[in-house]
Amino acid sequence: MKSSFVGQAVILAALALLPSAGEAIYFRDKISWRSAIAPSEMVTVEQARAWGENAIWVDARPDEEFARDHVPGALLLNEDRWNELVPQFLAVWSPGKKIVVYCSSLSCNASREVARRLRKEAQLPDVFVLEGGWEAWMKKNR
Amino acid sequence: MNQTPNAERPILSVESSAGATTSNIKHRTSNIFWRILDFVLAGIFIYAGALKASDPVQFASDIDNYKILPWTVSVALAFYLPWLEIFCALGLVFRFLYRGALSILTAAIVVFTLATIAAKVRGLDITCGCFGHASQNWSFPSHLATNLAILAALLALLFKVASQNRLRNAV
Repeated sequence: MKSSFVGQAVILAALALLPSAGEAIYFRDKISWRSAIAPSEMVTVEQARAWGENAIWVDARPDEEFARDHVPGALLLNEDRWNELVPQFLAVWSPGKKIVVYCSSLSCNASREVARRLRKEAQLPDVFVLEGGWEAWMKKNR
Repeated sequence: MNQTPNAERPILSVESSAGATTSNIKHRTSNIFWRILDFVLAGIFIYAGALKASDPVQFASDIDNYKILPWTVSVALAFYLPWLEIFCALGLVFRFLYRGALSILTAAIVVFTLATIAAKVRGLDITCGCFGHASQNWSFPSHLATNLAILAALLALLFKVASQNRLRNAV
């Protein structure tokens, strides 16, 4: 009897693989398997640098890390002091500018969260997350 | 003299047929009840599965919020779990791979409930993602109560199937 439960469960589990594989292919451009950001919302160091003056760099790391070093001209905007820092950021932002948010490395979440809040709460367009974060920027600028 | 047993026979026959009819009605009512439970549970899981399958990006993010699994696994589950729920729900409706469907749904609801409790204990303020955006504003107690109600219904169906099997094997 136990084997019939398990056998049927295995068949169902295998059947569900088919549509989920189809859906994964359909959504391949909308979701990244490497990080929680869609490929269209990611930007590499080279791409962001090419935007030049048209980009606003946002540092989503904690205050101490920002104070230690940061991308030249970057603005501090982290979740710890979100309410305090957002007005300062909005004073600098102007329509048409692209926003590049970064945190420490590829695995950090802060840039993704700040980017999400800028999009949803501040309703800003053109918000991108820097692939590889501060680590990637340092590598390209050594 | 010989008439007495013969005269009693029709009475016994009427009584036994009345008893059988009552038992049949009870049996049929009970069957209808279990079928309704099947349909209600199937409806819940089809609704939940369809909502999540329509927005796997959001569901992956909801799974990731539990901070239990790596992102890649969250994405894989976001594509897979909604369809598994839908297939199992269809299994309940059409009685196709019925026991397997019940087992998977029971296991899934136990895992969801434990993950929700673990998240609460760890102080994570998260949306469960169980019903996509519809469950975004659910409080922890209502979320837990819904899960436990579904679990109770699934367990009732599982026990019923298991006892039917036992009876069949005994015969």
